[in-house]
Amino acid sequence: MIQVVKQFKDARKAAKKAASDPETPEEMVVGKAWDSTLARRLWREARPHHGLFYGAFAVLAALFVLEMAGPWIIRHAIDGPVAEVIALRAQDDPAALEQGLERPTRELLWWALAYLGCAVGMTAFRYLEVAHLTRTGQSVVHDLRVKLFKHIESLELSWFDKRPTGSLVTRVTSDIENLGEMFTSGLVTLGFDFLRIAVLLVVLFVLHWQLALVVLALMPLLIGVSLVFRGGARNAHRAVRAKLSVLNGYLQEVLQGMRVVHVFRREARVSQRFRDLLAQYLQANVRTIVLFALFFPALDFVVNGIQAAIVWVGGLDISSGDLEVGAFFQFWLYVGMLLNPVRELGERYNVLQSAFASSERIFQVLDTQPTVASGTRPRGAPVRGLIRFENVSFDYLPGVPVLQDVSFEIPAGATVAVVGATGAGKSTLANLLMRFYDPTRGRITLDGVDLREYGLEELRSQFGLVLQEDFLFAGSVRENLVMERSEVSEASLARALDASRARIVLERLPEGLDAPVAERGATLSTGERQLLAIARALAGSPRIVVLDEATASVDSQTEHQIEEAQDNLLSGRSALVIAHRLSTVRKAHKILVMHRGVLREQGTHEELLRLGGIYARLHRLQFSGDAG
Amino acid sequence: MKQLWIQFQRFLRYRWTLAAGVACIPLAALGDVWITKIVGDAIARLREGSDTDFLAGMFWLMIAVALVRGVFRYLQRWWIVSVSRYVENGLKQDLFDKLVELPLSFHVQHRSGDLVSRLTSDVENVRMFLGPGLMYTGGALVMVPASLIYLLVLDASVAAWMVLPLVIMGLGMKWMAPRLEKHSLAVQESAAEISHKAQEAFSGIRVIKGYAREEQQTRRFAGASAKSLHHQLELGRARGITHAITWGAKDLTFLPILFVGGMAMMNKDLPAGDLFKFIDLIAKLFWPIIALGWMAGIYPRAVVSAGRVAELLQTKPEIADPSAPLELDEVQGRLELERVSFRYPGAERDAVEDVSLVVPANTVLGVVGPTGSGKSTLLNLLTRLFDASAGEIRLDGAPVKRLNLATLRGALAYVPQDSFLFSDTWRANVGFGADEPLDDATVAELADRACMAGEVATFPSGYDQKIGERGVTLSGGQRQRTCIARALAGDPRVLVLDDSLSAVDTETEAQLVRNLRSASRGRTVILAAHRLSTVRHADQIVVLSKGRVVQRGRHDELIEQPGWYAETWARQQAQAELAGL
Repeated sequence: MIQVVKQFKDARKAAKKAASDPETPEEMVVGKAWDSTLARRLWREARPHHGLFYGAFAVLAALFVLEMAGPWIIRHAIDGPVAEVIALRAQDDPAALEQGLERPTRELLWWALAYLGCAVGMTAFRYLEVAHLTRTGQSVVHDLRVKLFKHIESLELSWFDKRPTGSLVTRVTSDIENLGEMFTSGLVTLGFDFLRIAVLLVVLFVLHWQLALVVLALMPLLIGVSLVFRGGARNAHRAVRAKLSVLNGYLQEVLQGMRVVHVFRREARVSQRFRDLLAQYLQANVRTIVLFALFFPALDFVVNGIQAAIVWVGGLDISSGDLEVGAFFQFWLYVGMLLNPVRELGERYNVLQSAFASSERIFQVLDTQPTVASGTRPRGAPVRGLIRFENVSFDYLPGVPVLQDVSFEIPAGATVAVVGATGAGKSTLANLLMRFYDPTRGRITLDGVDLREYGLEELRSQFGLVLQEDFLFAGSVRENLVMERSEVSEASLARALDASRARIVLERLPEGLDAPVAERGATLSTGERQLLAIARALAGSPRIVVLDEATASVDSQTEHQIEEAQDNLLSGRSALVIAHRLSTVRKAHKILVMHRGVLREQGTHEELLRLGGIYARLHRLQFSGDAG
Repeated sequence: MKQLWIQFQRFLRYRWTLAAGVACIPLAALGDVWITKIVGDAIARLREGSDTDFLAGMFWLMIAVALVRGVFRYLQRWWIVSVSRYVENGLKQDLFDKLVELPLSFHVQHRSGDLVSRLTSDVENVRMFLGPGLMYTGGALVMVPASLIYLLVLDASVAAWMVLPLVIMGLGMKWMAPRLEKHSLAVQESAAEISHKAQEAFSGIRVIKGYAREEQQTRRFAGASAKSLHHQLELGRARGITHAITWGAKDLTFLPILFVGGMAMMNKDLPAGDLFKFIDLIAKLFWPIIALGWMAGIYPRAVVSAGRVAELLQTKPEIADPSAPLELDEVQGRLELERVSFRYPGAERDAVEDVSLVVPANTVLGVVGPTGSGKSTLLNLLTRLFDASAGEIRLDGAPVKRLNLATLRGALAYVPQDSFLFSDTWRANVGFGADEPLDDATVAELADRACMAGEVATFPSGYDQKIGERGVTLSGGQRQRTCIARALAGDPRVLVLDDSLSAVDTETEAQLVRNLRSASRGRTVILAAHRLSTVRHADQIVVLSKGRVVQRGRHDELIEQPGWYAETWARQQAQAELAGL
């Protein structure tokens, strides 16, 4: 027994340590178990489904009534017809017995039929209890999940920059699922459990107040055991999960780096490391085993204790005839019904706690307002594509300027190439033009109108965007090219495929346009992805093109195709090109030379050569033979 | 069954603990029945006479029995579940060691997700069935017959009528278990789909916003969410049916108790105390019977999982040490490839075709060519990550297949293309390349030679800085240089770099290549690269195209020849200038 207590103490200690471990991810941080402000807000969020909630309560109520009816029927059958016959027998009068037997037997049959009806009803409601509660919780979850996703998408890019994608995914997955638990086993079941406990206690007092007092007096013991173990179990589980995720993480890592393990002959070393992690995992597991091995027997021991007390106290009244045996059975069965929700209180408490923590994180996101707001200017005539940057400055962090006082113009239909070292602010120009961010100072106009006055969707539908590492979505090639844009027709798609040379990609794929694209386009080569991205931009017949040329090396044939595709994409459109190829630069109508956020030179190829600045120096190097 | 038996033998390694745990099962179960008997007998005795003095004694007896039963239940759970965890760990260790032992050819043919699931869900399925499953089944197999026999003795007809609902209960669980399984799998899959969609949308947010496609993405996401909702509802219904069947069957057992038992009481055959025993034992039989049904339901899955576990454990490694290995006293580092070809399993053409090469000791070989030309594959053959399908590779004149893997790989080090590093400290990652723990001076020297010392000094914890997840994120160039430090840590005779300088700036690159060569005894270096500046100082350069050598020579010679090398060199130079503005 001493050993057991020690194991238990160790388990609690270790669990506490795990909880304060700085490596515990935010998802595992514990919050409050009840927060009425949050609860009220959640209830408001679930408004469209309030009907389902009332339905759930109705199902639970009906089930509860039938559950209560069962023992009541048993009691009345036993204390009624059965007791009557037994009393009759005690008189030892065969004639009376013969006569008096028929009616009680019939009565017993009626009670049995009533019970059968009750059982059938219970079965139906038990099905509904689970199925309907699932429907209620999951319907709310579905709505909230889509709402949250939509909201996250509406937030500006700088918000995404600050957060790892993984944690955003957690918001719409496990946080939302925790919330689902909250609605079903939290609000509804827990709420009903309290009602059930209250009603049962009242009924028990009415049935036999002395026995009810005994139960009431011993109940805190049960609640105590349940709540004491609650914290321990939760923390121990968390420790196991943490160790398991480290273990599986290492396994995945080793599988990924198997080449390195093999070539360096480190099989024994990684095996030893795995062994150590397994030992830690086992240690954490042993703690949960101890806790649970103690928990259930301890709970049952308390329940047995309560039962023993009932028999003792009730036994005196049965003996004196104050308590009918049927009534005792009824009492006994009701006590069983009462104790079940009480022993599950700890578990429900845990669910609520994690659900509130999740809902807090979810509302934090929902309460974030997008700062890049859509303009209110009514949709106008098609844009011509005259773009002007007027004294534009921008900083991501206050005091660290990324762009300083940049002014230039892209005439309608002209290509402007931007060159400069990494970090010179080239991409920021594109980001501001697309309104992924708004300038800190200065303004950008399109056809003379400030970008901020356009509706976001109207503005962005003017653009064709090709990124350096362009992003393809899982789905078919067609889905990726069309992206459900109303402006893309079969004809414009066909033209885009020709102009972008993406037909070459399609020829390699047996299913053509309907060929599946793996996540992030993993089945396609860099060059192929680039051609498809150009086709995607072309298909929308954009007025303005924003192009970040790919730097990754592709074979010379593909390189040539990409060049042709780009020429077709740029011709006749206003374009801002972050150039990595000299050929693009030379063909541009205007070249911007960026250096540390400042626009140092602008002009045509010839103008810049005459200027004799940075660009001219580059050009000299290029044609002086070996420039390395 | 045979598969499960094989795995069960692992449990038998802990046979005494297991036996003690199993012995507790009937004791705990019978304690439970005994408590019911005590109460029932007390009721009968109370009905017969007015004597109540025994009640206090009965109270303490019940407490004592409950306590003893609790202790047995604790021990049963503690012993059996602990053993199952020990077995789980042993199994995981063996599987892990097997995975590490199996050659790369095995790993490229198996998705890592599948291998991980053998170590996770398959092991868990086997453990659940043989560990806690054993406990529940054992408990049920004592509890159910003991209770039924006891009840049959009390009143055969009532007990006989009860058997039918009990059977329905167990069968219901057995029938529903696969269906529950199926739906919860679908729920898990649709949850993964939601997660994928969200992941995709949030990583591709630039494209989505750039094309104002937020609404389309919301529809896609809502579609995935609706699918999940659908599966959740299906699962909810399946759970509802299971719940209704099992509890309905339990409720139904009260019908014979009430009617048949009531009739028996009227006929004076059944005392009230015995009727109580029926009522109370039913509640106690409920969970054991559910457990039996559940076990029957998950049995097929456990068999499949045990088979998958055994299959992996029995896989024989294809690349192994030769039976009569050649010995090399001291490796010089001369490599020869003679008409080497290699084809990936299932591929239509050779990835490396008829390649012949001689790399004298202490020279540098550059391997270049477009993407997919077979550069990485060629390097994999040198390290014997794969075995050549035809031809022969020799180290110091000895065919590599006739060397012990330890001899071959001990002589060479490798820098992978993906710059793979462990989520560990910088020191541990570099130390991975050395046989012995590294002292501070050596670590510092390696950092220096990998042109990384300055950057490591800026890490909050210096050499002991954790990198990767939960640590600092290294840039591509820093990762590559860390991998180089690791490769240098073992002072290898042959160094193989698979395009591992691509993210390093050209100036550092030149310094690095010089550092790689410098070793007291000299060193053979194989450099595969995309960027030609990496190999410009190599003693020998081969250009691969579609697995074949199409050009070879020194940099100066190759830029004079018309062809891929000269073209690519010109283009890359121009791009480098543009980027370097």
